[in-house]
Order: sequence, then structure tokens, then C-alpha cells
Amino acid sequence: MFTLHGNGVDAGIAIGRARLLRSLGEDILKYNISVDEVEQEISRLQAGLGSAQDALHQTANQLGEEDSAEVRGILGAHITMLEDPVLVQEPMEIIRRQHINAEAALQMHAENLEGVFNRIDDPYLSGKSADVVQVISRIQGELLKQKESTGRSEEEIFDGEIIVANDLMPADTVRLSSHQISAFITNLGGPISHTAILARSMKIPAIVGLHGGIHYLRTGDLLIIDGKRGVVLVNPDTPILKTYQRRRERILRTHQRLDVLIDERASTLDGHEISLCANIEFPEEMAEAMSLNTMGVGLYRTEFLFMNRCRLPSEEEQVRVYASVLRQTDRPVTIRTLDLGSDKQVDGGRLHGSQIANPALGRRAIRLCLHDLSLFKPQLRAIYRAAVYGQARIMIPMLSNIDEVDQLFMLLEELRQELHDQKIRYDPHVPIGGMVEVPAAAVAADLFADRLDFLSIGTNDLIQYTLAIDRIDDEVDYLYDPVHPAVLRLIKATLDAGSVANIPVSMCGEMAGDPRYTRILLGMGLRDFSMDVAAILEVKRRIRLTDISKAQPLVEELLKTGNQKRIRELVEEINR
Amino acid sequence: MRCILRVECNIQVINKLGLHARAAAKLVKLSAGFESSVVLNNGSASADAKSIMQVLMLAASQETHLLLTAEGNDAQLAASRISRLFENRFGEDE
Repeated sequence: MFTLHGNGVDAGIAIGRARLLRSLGEDILKYNISVDEVEQEISRLQAGLGSAQDALHQTANQLGEEDSAEVRGILGAHITMLEDPVLVQEPMEIIRRQHINAEAALQMHAENLEGVFNRIDDPYLSGKSADVVQVISRIQGELLKQKESTGRSEEEIFDGEIIVANDLMPADTVRLSSHQISAFITNLGGPISHTAILARSMKIPAIVGLHGGIHYLRTGDLLIIDGKRGVVLVNPDTPILKTYQRRRERILRTHQRLDVLIDERASTLDGHEISLCANIEFPEEMAEAMSLNTMGVGLYRTEFLFMNRCRLPSEEEQVRVYASVLRQTDRPVTIRTLDLGSDKQVDGGRLHGSQIANPALGRRAIRLCLHDLSLFKPQLRAIYRAAVYGQARIMIPMLSNIDEVDQLFMLLEELRQELHDQKIRYDPHVPIGGMVEVPAAAVAADLFADRLDFLSIGTNDLIQYTLAIDRIDDEVDYLYDPVHPAVLRLIKATLDAGSVANIPVSMCGEMAGDPRYTRILLGMGLRDFSMDVAAILEVKRRIRLTDISKAQPLVEELLKTGNQKRIRELVEEINR
Repeated sequence: MRCILRVECNIQVINKLGLHARAAAKLVKLSAGFESSVVLNNGSASADAKSIMQVLMLAASQETHLLLTAEGNDAQLAASRISRLFENRFGEDE
């Protein structure tokens, strides 16, 4: 038994078998072969190619009517590539010339091709090496499978397993979210990386930032993930395994006891009614969100409609998806318009070059949308149209400049006129709100509050921008501090601006769903919380145990103190 | 002696995404149906239009001009069908 250490994301415990997710090239071993083995290695390569072709043909045959033409098209293109003799010509040459194994020859070829594509000066095409690379990695996968011959053919079933990866991209998280995974561990990533966010939404523990630790793990190792301590126990001894199994049972029991809170009101000991809403990403999450008696959806992220695909979703498709969410409740659903750029990019960065030095400060979210109206208009029109099926609200991410609001209003006016002229049914009264996540918007919150119908504080970005730390850089994540006086003051300024302008201010960032901050936020005046479904009951319990009048004076002191020790004491005292 | 027909024409990539994987697959599928050889030139780079890998490596983005050379009995038909595929933006919207 040995242990690995990283950042724990969720206090839970998971026990399961490791499953290493291979990202291309990561575990491709290169070794030399003798001259006599060259032809044999080439036959191996051809056999691998053959199985990759068979596998893809099989997938293509399984496509049903409901699978889009796009999926068929991509699959067809991949099959065509696999059947093109040119694909393996160069790798065969490499094997002959350099006397190395087939996997490594493919790897060299893939990297060469990537290099060629990356030199292409066209954002649409340069991202396209992905197709070729994926095809090559399929052959590599077949070759590795032959060698391991573990008899695991069902490559895409992860039930009960613990996913081990170098890092997870947003695209992986989409693919994984439908599996019954018991935990994640990754080499990279801080506490609010995508992996961490996904783990929270799936209610499973994760440990991120293991700094190379995963290289000691193999698929099939028995792992205990202790999210609270940030520890991975590898192949544990029986007594330890037993202890952890008991502890896991206990955690599950407390979890179940939370269920009795579903029908209880979210009100404080001193009688304040608090609104709890859900953050969702997919229409399928609505049922659970509504089953918890939430007051609606405070954040519906729409990025995932735009990712993992080659063509942008049409207006019609968006109307269908938004309407399918709105139809599931008569309560407000806050639809956040496209928040892409930064670490989330459409189809390998085809919207704009992917090699921007500092994407978090670049043309993302509303900036991208106002720049590329072909992206923005169909989404806004779709929301207006879907709004006839429920209570939609439009929320604009990453506002930093008042001009953006003015431009937005002009655009909305134009779109309403357009819809009216085209005699298309739509709801003209959809409330328009903005996210406060750039410090400029928090400092000048009063100016935004004057123009908008509501504000919502996005704490992840607000903290990142205020404290100047990259949210995915685990070397600076120790500086990530939601109770930094600067952060708290910006939150307070936003809440105050809302109450002066008499518009609601909610919070939909990670902080809103973290019970450690619930009392602090209540003490500052926050009454509308929106969070991942997994956190709702925990936060509700916290609210029901809070007396705001007692928290308030301590919070006021917290806003004024710069002494780290005193800050910790105050947080402890507030939470006692 | 058999007369081999050789047709050359200029075509332009007009679809937004250029010759990406799916478009290239369509081109290859169409080209493979002709008896003639079909070669595309992008400056000094040249590709057999029946090989998707070679077509992809042409790296033809939107607005690229290509020289198409078809050689064989059905060269005329091949050239006109293939130019039409480019003109129709490979069936894409933009």
C-alpha cells in the first residue's frame, strides 16, 4: 500500500478500481525492435489498423435514426481515413527506418501531422488535426489492447470505476457525465478546475493536483479516495479498507438524512426566507433540480450546446432545447448566454485561434458574442421564442463595460422587431440581467443595476480576476480565497447596489453552494442563492441553523479586517 | 492508340470551413468513382483526390485556389462533378 496526495474536492469517500484515461501519447512506450522483427511489426500495425476499421464500421452500423447526419459524417470521414493506405504509409516507413514499435511510429506520425496542421494559418482548419489524431489514436488503442489482452473490449463503460487522468478537458467531462463513475483523480487542476466542478455536480469525490502522482497507478489498482484529506490510498490493506468502508457508509447516511429537508422551507432562525435555485447544464438535470423544491434555475449554462460538435446549433435546435427546460417548471429559469472563450472553446478553438496568451482576459463571453453576432443572434432569438413556454430570463456573462449593456439593448430591440415582423411567436417581456464577475462590474455595480432587471454574482471568475490568480493553475491556487476582504467587499458593493436600485441580486458561483460561506453571505445581505443540485440540501440545512442578526456584526468586522489570523477566527466564530 | 483525355481547371474553396475531414471524405468518395486519375494542386503541394490523407494535407482553407487535373476516359465528367461539389460548398450551409 502507498498513498498519493493532492487537493481534495469533495468531503466524500470513494472506493473502487482505477481506470486510466489515456490522452494521446501519454502512455505510448517507445522501444527498439531488431531488424528481423521489422516485417512482423508492420503486420502488427496492419492488424491494428484492421481492428480499428472493424470497430468503427461496427459503431457506424449501430447508429440509429436519431443520430444526426453530423455524427454519421464524422464517422464516415474517420472510416475513409482508416481505409486510406496513405495513413499508415509513413508509420511503416518509420518502422523500417528506425526499427521502433508500431505504437511509437504512429505517435511520431501523429505529432508530425499535428505540426503541419498547426502551421496552417486558418483557425477553422488548424483545429482539424484533431480528426487525424483521433483516427491514429484508435489504431494505437487497438495495438495496446492486443498486447494487454485483458479481454476488456467494452472500452467506454466506466461503471463504479475511479477515473485517473492527467487532466480532463470540458469535452471529456461531457462524455463522462453519463457514466456511473465513483471518483476522479488528476495530475493537474486546482479546486475549481473543470474536473472539480464536474465531480461536485456528479456528487462524487475527486482529488486534483497530484503533480505526477498518477504515473504510479495502473488500471485495475484498488483505490480509496479520501476527498476530505486529499489522499489516495493505493491497494490498501484489509483493515484500512474496512475502516474506510464503514466511514463511507456513515457519510451516505448523513446524506440521506438531508432528504427530510426537501419539503422544509429555506428560512433562517430569525425568519428570513431565502431563495434556493439550481445551476444546471443539461435539460436532463431539470427533474432532479425540481424534485428538491428549488425556486427555479439561477444559472442554466448553454455552452455545452456549442461544444463537441462541428457546426453551431441552429436557432431551431436551441428553441427546442430551451423550451424543453422551460416546460419543466413554472418558476424562473435564468439562461446564461454563451460563455465561451477562456478555457472553454467551441470545437477545438474554431471560433477564434486557440493560442491566445491570456484567454481569461481575452475575447470571451459577451465580448465574443457582440463581436460575432452570427453566434449571438440565433441564441437570443431562440430564448425569446422559447420563453412562451415558461418564465425565461436572459443573463449576460462577463459584463465589464456599460457600453456592452447599451449595445445589447439595441440588439435585443432589433431582434424583437424582427420576430414581430416575421410573425413568429415570442415573449417580449423576458427580464435581462447581467453577471457580476469582473471587478469593474462589481465596483460600478450601481451603473449596471440602473439598466438591468437583475444581477447575479459569479464568484469563480470574480475571485480569479480580483486576486489575479488563474483558476486552473495549481501553483497559485493557495491564493484562491473567497473570504479575502477585497472579494467580500466587491460582493457587498454589488448587493448594496441591487438594493438601492431595487432589483434582485443573486449568486450563482461555487461560493453560493459551499456551506462554509453560507452564513457569511447571509450576513452580507444575500438572499438568493443558486448552486449545483448536489449542494442544495446541505446549504438549506445551514440556512435553517443560521440567525442572521447574530452573523451580521461578525461579518461587518470581517469586511474590515486585514489580519489573516483574525479572519480565520471570525470565519470560525461565524460558523460555530 | 488510345487517346487519353486530360482536363485541367481552376477551382476555389468557398465553404467557410475549408477542406476539413468531412468535406474531404465527400471529395474522396466522389473522386474514387471515376476511372480517371484526379490530382489537386495547391501551389507546390499536390494531392491524389482519391486519398483523404493527401487531400487533408493540402490544407486548403476558405478562398484557396486549387488546380484540378483529371486524366482518363471520364476526365471531363470527373472535373465537372468535382467542381460542382466545391461550388455547392460540400453541402454545407456556409
